[in-house]
Amino acid sequence: MALTFSLPMNCQTIQNGSLSMLRNTLRAKRLIAFTIACFLFTMPAVAAVPEVPGPKQDHPIALVGGTIHTVSGKSITGGTLLFIDGKIAAIGQELNLPSNVEVIDVTGKHIFPGLIDANSNMGLVEINAVRATRDEREVGSFNPNVKAHVAINPDSEIIPTTRSNGVLLCLTAPSGGVISGQSAVIQLDGWTYEDLTIRPGAGLHVTWPLMAPVSDWQLTGNAKDSANARDKNMKNLEEFFNTARRYDEARRNDPSARIDLKLESMRDVLSRKIPVIANAENANQIQAAVAFSVRQKVRLIINGGYDAIYCTDLLKQHNVPVILGGVYRTPRRADDFYDLPYEIPAILEKAGVQFCIASDGRFGASMVRNLPFHAGTAHAYGLSIDGALRAVTLSTAEILGVENQVGSLEQGKDATLVIADGNILDIRTNVEAAFIQGRRVDLSDRHKKLYYKYDQRINRQAAEQAEK
Amino acid sequence: MKKINIWILGIVFSISAFTASPGYTQVPSSEPVVGLRDNTPTTTVLQGGTIVVGPGHIIENGDIVIQDNVIRKVGVNQRVPAGAKLIKLNGHFVYAGFIDAYSPTDVDRTPATNGAPYWNDTVTPQLSVAAVYDSDESVNSQFRNQGFTARVVAPGMGIIRGASALVLTGTSENNSAILKSNLFQHIRLTVPQGRGRDQYPNSPMGAVALARQAMMDGAWYQKAWEAHQSNPSNQRPERNDALAALAPVLDASQSVVFVTSDEQYFLRADRFAKQFGLQAIMIGSGYEYQRLSNVVATKRTVILPINFPKAPNVGSIESARAASLESMMHWDLAPENPGRLVAAGVNVALTTQGLNNRKDFLKNVRRAVERGLSQEDALASITTIPAELTGMGSLLGKVEKNYLANLVITSENVFEDGSKIEEVWVAGERFEFSAPPLLALDGRWKLTGDLEGSELILTLSGKGPALEGSVSIQNSAAEETTVKLSKASIRDTRVSAVLPADQFEKEGLIRFTLTFVDAEAKQGIGQWIATDGSSGKFTAELLDAAESPQEKTEPDADDDAFESLAASFDVNFPLGAYGRSSKPTQSKLLLLTNATIWTSGPAGTLENASMLVDQGRIVAVGVDLKPPRGATIVDLKGQHLTAGIIDAHSHMATDGGVNESAQAITAEVRIGDFIDAHDPTIYRQLAGGVTTSNILHGSANPIGGQNQVIKLRWGATGEEMKFAGAPLGIKFALGENVKQSNWGDEYTTRYPQTRMGVEQIIRDAFERGRQYKKDWTQWNATKKGVPPRYDYELEAIVEILEHKRWIHCHSYRQDEILALLRTLEEFNIQIGTLQHILEGYKVAEEMAAHGAMGSTFADWWAYKYEVIDAIPYNGKLMHKAGVVVSFNSDDDELGRHLNHEAAKAVRYGGVEPAEALKFVTLNPARQLRIDQFVGSLEPGKHADFVVWSGDPLSVFSRCEQTWIDGRKYFDRQEDIASRMTLHKKRATLIQKILMSGEGMVGASAGPVKEAELWPREDLYCHTHRHTNQCLHAGLQKGRLQQLMEIINQEQMQQQQGEK
Repeated sequence: MALTFSLPMNCQTIQNGSLSMLRNTLRAKRLIAFTIACFLFTMPAVAAVPEVPGPKQDHPIALVGGTIHTVSGKSITGGTLLFIDGKIAAIGQELNLPSNVEVIDVTGKHIFPGLIDANSNMGLVEINAVRATRDEREVGSFNPNVKAHVAINPDSEIIPTTRSNGVLLCLTAPSGGVISGQSAVIQLDGWTYEDLTIRPGAGLHVTWPLMAPVSDWQLTGNAKDSANARDKNMKNLEEFFNTARRYDEARRNDPSARIDLKLESMRDVLSRKIPVIANAENANQIQAAVAFSVRQKVRLIINGGYDAIYCTDLLKQHNVPVILGGVYRTPRRADDFYDLPYEIPAILEKAGVQFCIASDGRFGASMVRNLPFHAGTAHAYGLSIDGALRAVTLSTAEILGVENQVGSLEQGKDATLVIADGNILDIRTNVEAAFIQGRRVDLSDRHKKLYYKYDQRINRQAAEQAEK
Repeated sequence: MKKINIWILGIVFSISAFTASPGYTQVPSSEPVVGLRDNTPTTTVLQGGTIVVGPGHIIENGDIVIQDNVIRKVGVNQRVPAGAKLIKLNGHFVYAGFIDAYSPTDVDRTPATNGAPYWNDTVTPQLSVAAVYDSDESVNSQFRNQGFTARVVAPGMGIIRGASALVLTGTSENNSAILKSNLFQHIRLTVPQGRGRDQYPNSPMGAVALARQAMMDGAWYQKAWEAHQSNPSNQRPERNDALAALAPVLDASQSVVFVTSDEQYFLRADRFAKQFGLQAIMIGSGYEYQRLSNVVATKRTVILPINFPKAPNVGSIESARAASLESMMHWDLAPENPGRLVAAGVNVALTTQGLNNRKDFLKNVRRAVERGLSQEDALASITTIPAELTGMGSLLGKVEKNYLANLVITSENVFEDGSKIEEVWVAGERFEFSAPPLLALDGRWKLTGDLEGSELILTLSGKGPALEGSVSIQNSAAEETTVKLSKASIRDTRVSAVLPADQFEKEGLIRFTLTFVDAEAKQGIGQWIATDGSSGKFTAELLDAAESPQEKTEPDADDDAFESLAASFDVNFPLGAYGRSSKPTQSKLLLLTNATIWTSGPAGTLENASMLVDQGRIVAVGVDLKPPRGATIVDLKGQHLTAGIIDAHSHMATDGGVNESAQAITAEVRIGDFIDAHDPTIYRQLAGGVTTSNILHGSANPIGGQNQVIKLRWGATGEEMKFAGAPLGIKFALGENVKQSNWGDEYTTRYPQTRMGVEQIIRDAFERGRQYKKDWTQWNATKKGVPPRYDYELEAIVEILEHKRWIHCHSYRQDEILALLRTLEEFNIQIGTLQHILEGYKVAEEMAAHGAMGSTFADWWAYKYEVIDAIPYNGKLMHKAGVVVSFNSDDDELGRHLNHEAAKAVRYGGVEPAEALKFVTLNPARQLRIDQFVGSLEPGKHADFVVWSGDPLSVFSRCEQTWIDGRKYFDRQEDIASRMTLHKKRATLIQKILMSGEGMVGASAGPVKEAELWPREDLYCHTHRHTNQCLHAGLQKGRLQQLMEIINQEQMQQQQGEK
C-alpha cells in the first residue's frame, strides 16, 4: 500500500533502492529488510494522522552498507551501525550481529548523528505574531528560576518540520530581560515534555547589556541615559549574583532558611553545574562577560558571538565556548567584509576557539530547520568540511554538556541519527529516515501532509483536464 | 596646520555699544510727525578703511560717506561734509553686510494666516512670513554678530511651507526691516519622523506624492476658476488660498526653495522642479561633493550650510571598528564641499542654517577657505550672490553708492584667522562689538597703601571685562607668596577683584577696586575691604607693561601646510568602504569559455560551453564558439555560469520609507522617487549574484505605492539604476497587514478591517478609476464645464485598468487570492504577480487559469497566523500546475543567497535543477515582464550573468563574479584584494582624526542621515516581535523598527521590581 504513493519525495527513490538492496544483500533477513525499509521510508509521507512518536526500540537494529559519519572519528564507508535498546552498540566494517537483529540496508546512503541546534525557542513559540502562542518571555528582568522545558508544547507543528531536515535536538531557551531563565536540551520526539527533555537547566540565559553603542541607532535618548542604563544593568547583574552567593551560604548554613525561588535557582549556577549563556555580539560585551564569569567563578558560554574573532585569545584562555548565532547574517558594521558572517566559523576554527553553529533565531523556531545550511555555507567560506559537520553536532553537544549522550556516532551513545541520500549540509540532500534513542521517527509533518493533500487536487484537475 | 583662534568665538558682544546714528526720520514715510521734528544731522564718514567694495575689488585707505541709511559716496580722500560724524577706520576692513539666504522659523498657523486651506495641513503655500514677522532682537543680534545684516526668513514647517521674507537684522520696525515679502516659496520633500501611522503623509515618498498632487491641484484651481468666470453656469469651485498661492510658483515667477537633506534628496528635488518647470533654489546639505557632477548638471543655485561634521568616534578600538570609512571620509571631505562646488561652477550662497551655534559661522567659512574656497568666492557667497538671488542686487551686497548702508567692519581680512568683527551697520544703524579697550591692562603694578606686608605687586592680563591676575607679597623676611585673584574684571577704567585674606593675617576674603586715572594706566588709586569689615586705601604704580597681546601670528599658508589639510582620499561612489572610483568598463568581445552554462533558456544547461558578450549584450552561447578576432578570452574552467539573479520582491535601496501607511489607498506614491544608491545592501546582494531587483512598496494598505525595478549598478545614481524598459507596476496587499491585525489594539478603525472589506475597497478603487476616466474622456471631447482634477492616485488605477501597470499583490490565504483574481477578472485585468502567495498551492489551478504568476518564499512560515499553512512545497506545486514561480527574498539577508533558496525547490518536491534555478532567474524576469531583456543567457539579452565557483544550487558554491550590462560589478577576488587598501584607508583616517585634536562625535551626537531614519524593510510583512534576537539579527534593519524594539526591551527591563 505504501508504494502506491507517487510523490517523488522519498518512496520512489527508496523503492528502487530497496529493490537493489534485495539483489545485493546476502543476508538472511532480506525479506524483512525490504519490508521494513519501505515501511520506514514511506510511511511518514502518507500518514493521515498526526505524527506519532516512535515506539521504544524492542529489538536490535543494524544499518548496513552506508557511509557512517561518526564525527568523533573517521567516517566509515560501507560500514554497519548496530543499536540496541536505544543505544549504539557497535560500529564497524564487520560486525557480529545478534540473531534477532533487524537489518536495514542503507547502501549508498549517509548516516549522521542527529543535528543539534543551540539557538531556538522550540515548543515555546508557535506563531510569532500571535501572543497566545508565545511562552518564551516572562515579565521582569531577572527570571533565573523559569525553566523552558516545563512549557514546551510537544505537539508544536514546528517540531516535525524541523526533524524532517535532520535536526533532532535543540536548545530551547527563554528570552527577554537581563536574566531570561533556564534553557533545556530537548530531543524532537516524544509524548510529553519529559520525554523530550534530555537536559533541563542547560544554561542560564543572560542578555549582556550593550557596553557601548556600535551604531548611533541604538540610542534612544542621549549617550548619558544609555550609559546609565548600562551601568544600572551591570550593577544589578553583579549584585544579583552576589546576593545569590550570600543566599547560598545562608542556605548551606541553615537548610531550614526560607526559600527564595529566584535565588534558589541560582545555586546550580554558582556551583558551576549550570553555565551562564550570555547573549553577546560585540567584543566589549564578550570581554565584559568573560571578566564577569571569572570574577563570579561561573561557567560561561557566549551566544551570538559575532565579535568572537576579536577575542580569541581571551576565550581560549578561559575556556569559554561560543554559540554562533547563525551564519546567514548581514554584516553588522558598515565596513565589514560582505562575507564576514560567513567566515567567522572558519576564523574561529583556525584560532582554536571552541564553537558551534546555531540557527539565526529568526521567526521563533520555524527556521531552525535551515541549521545544516548555515554550516554548509560556512564550509563554502573556509570552514573545513569535517569542522562544518562537527559544528552542528558534536561541538554543540560538548558546549551544551550532552556529549556523553549525543553529538556523534559512538558506542554507548544514543541512537539518535539521520539517514540521508547525500551530505546533510547541502540543501538538495534528502533526509530519508531518522531515529531518536533507537525509536523510529515519523518524518511526516504538517507541510508534507498539505503537500500531499493539494498535490491530489492538482493531479485530479490535471486528470479531468486530460479527459476533456 | 593653521590654528583656529577660538577666542574670536568667545567675544561677548554688547548691544549697549551701539549708538543711534543718523536715524530714519528722513526716510520717506507715511507716518505723521508727532511732537518735535528730529533733524539730527544724518551724515557719517567712515575714513581710512580697507574697503572691499565687492568680491575682488578693494579700495585701500578709502572713505565711505553715509547719509541716512544709504551709502552716498565711496572712494579715496572724500571730503567730510560739515556736520558729519567722522569715524576713523585705521585701516580696518569694510565689507558689504552679509546676507543669509535661508533662515527658517516656525510660523504659527491661525485662521488669520491660514485662510481657506488645502485639505492636508502640510501644504500651506499661502502662509506668509511677512504677515507674521515680529523682529526678535535676540535672534537678530546672533546674525549681526557674524556680520549678517539681512536674512531670508522662511517658514520652517510642513511640505509646501509658504513664502519667505527678506528682512534686515537691525532694530527697526517692520516698515523698514522687511525689505521684501512673498519672496520665495519653500518646499521640503519629506515629513518629520514619527508622524502617526494615521497622518498622511507619514513617509518621504508620501510627501513627494502629496506635493506633486498639490502642484497639479494648483494648476487645476486656476483652470476651474477660469471656467467658472468665463461661464457662470459652470459650477463655482471651492475657494482655496493655498492653491491660489501656487499660481506664481507654477508660472515660475516665484522661485521655490527646496530643503534637501543629502545629495540624493537634492537630485530628487531637482527632478520634482523640472517636472513642473519651477525656478528652483536648493538648500544644500554638505553632501553635494559626493555627486558633484550630477549636482552641477542641475545648474541650480545652492544655499549651502557649512555645518561640517564632527569626527566619528575612533577613540577606542571598539568605537573605531564601528566607525565607517564613509563617516571618516565625510569628515575629511566635507570642508571642501563649498570649494568644490564653486570650482565646478555652482552658484553658492552660504547660510548659517544647520549650525548648532551660529557663532561657528565665520570659523567654518575660514575652514572652507583653507580647504579650497577662494576668498573672493567666499565673500560673494555671503554678499553679492544672495543679493542677486533675492532680487536685491542693486541695494545689497556691495559697498557702493546708493547701496543700503549695510556694512561689516573687521580688524583684518575677515577670512583670515584672528580677524575680528569690530562693527556692523544695518541700514545706517551702527552696532559696535568690541570698543577699543580704554586701557591696556597687561602689566605689573606696585601697590602701596595700608595693607600688611612689605611689598605688593599686582599682575593683570586679559582683554576684559574678565581679567586674570595675581598679587605677589613679599614679607619682611623677603619670602614671596603669590595669590591668585578671583573675579577680576574691568569696567571702564575700574578694576575689581577678590583675593584670600590669609596672607594679610586676616580672615576670609579681601575685595578691592582700583581706578586708573590716566590713559596709560600708569597710576591708580584703590580701596579694599575685608570680610571682617576692615578696609583701607592704596595706590598703584605701573612697573612694566606686557607686550601687546595683539601681536599678529602669521598664518602658515605655505603649500605644504595646505597639502596636509587636503582630503586624504578621492571621492568614490558611493562614498565609503565599497564605493567604486569609476563605472566598470563595458567589455567588448568577451568570450567566457570552459564553463558549465545554465542558460535558463531553450538551450538548457551546457557543459564545457562558451558565451560571447559584446557591448552589454550576449552575442552567442554554445559549446563550440570560435573566438572572434580581438576577443578577450576568459577561461572559467570548472566554474558555472548562470543568468543574473532577479529578486522579484525587495525593499532594499530605498531611503524614503517602504510604507506610506496612513491611507488605505496610496497608488500615487512612488518607490522610484527614493531609490537609495548608497544602500550597502546593494553591494552585498551583488556579491550573492543578484543583478536585478523589484523594489516594492510595503504591504500596509490594500493598494500601496508604485514599485521600481532596478539593476544593481553599484556606484551609479538611483536614477541610473532604474531598469529602462521595465513596465510600470504597483503594490497591492491583502490580509492581516492591510486590516491592521498586528498593528496593535488601537488600530481598529481604518477601513478595511476584514478580508470582506479588502475585497470591497479594491473593487471601489477600480470603479472610481473607471468614473475618473469617463469624466476625463467626456471633458476632453467637449471641453465644457469645469475641468476634472488630475488625480495621481486615480491615474495609477486607470493605468491598471488599461493594462499599462502591473499589480504585484502581497497575499497569503487562498480565499483572498481567489477573491482578488475574481475581482480583477470582472474588470478585465490580469494580475502581474501574486507575492508571498504562501497558499498559492491551494489555488494553483485557478492561478494558472488566470495567468497569475507566483513569487513566493522558499520556506518561510509560522511568523503570523495567516502563514500557518505555508509550506516549502508551495513553489513545486504551483510550478506543477503551470504557474510561473519565483522565489524572492523580501529581506536584505535572504537576498544574499537566493541560489540557496532556488535549491530548496529541488529539496522540497524535487523540481529539476535547471527549472529550480529559473525560480530566481527567468521566472522573476517573466513576472516583471522584462524577460525580453534579462533572465536567461540567450543571444540579444543583456549581459547580466554570474560566475559561480561550482554548481549554483550547491550550498558549497560561492558567487565569484557578477556582471551587469557586460560590466563586472562584483569580483570576489578583487574584493579580497582590496581589503588591505580598505584597512590602510581606515588606518590613515583614524590617525588623522586622532592627530587633528578635534572633538569626536559623542555616542549620542552622531548625525543621523536622512536615509537612516526610514526603515528599509516592510515593517508589516513579517510582524517581527522579537527583541533579543532582533538585536542579534544585526544592524541592517530599518532604524525605526530597531528603535521600537529597543524601547520595547527597555520597557521590559524597567518592569523589573524585585531583585
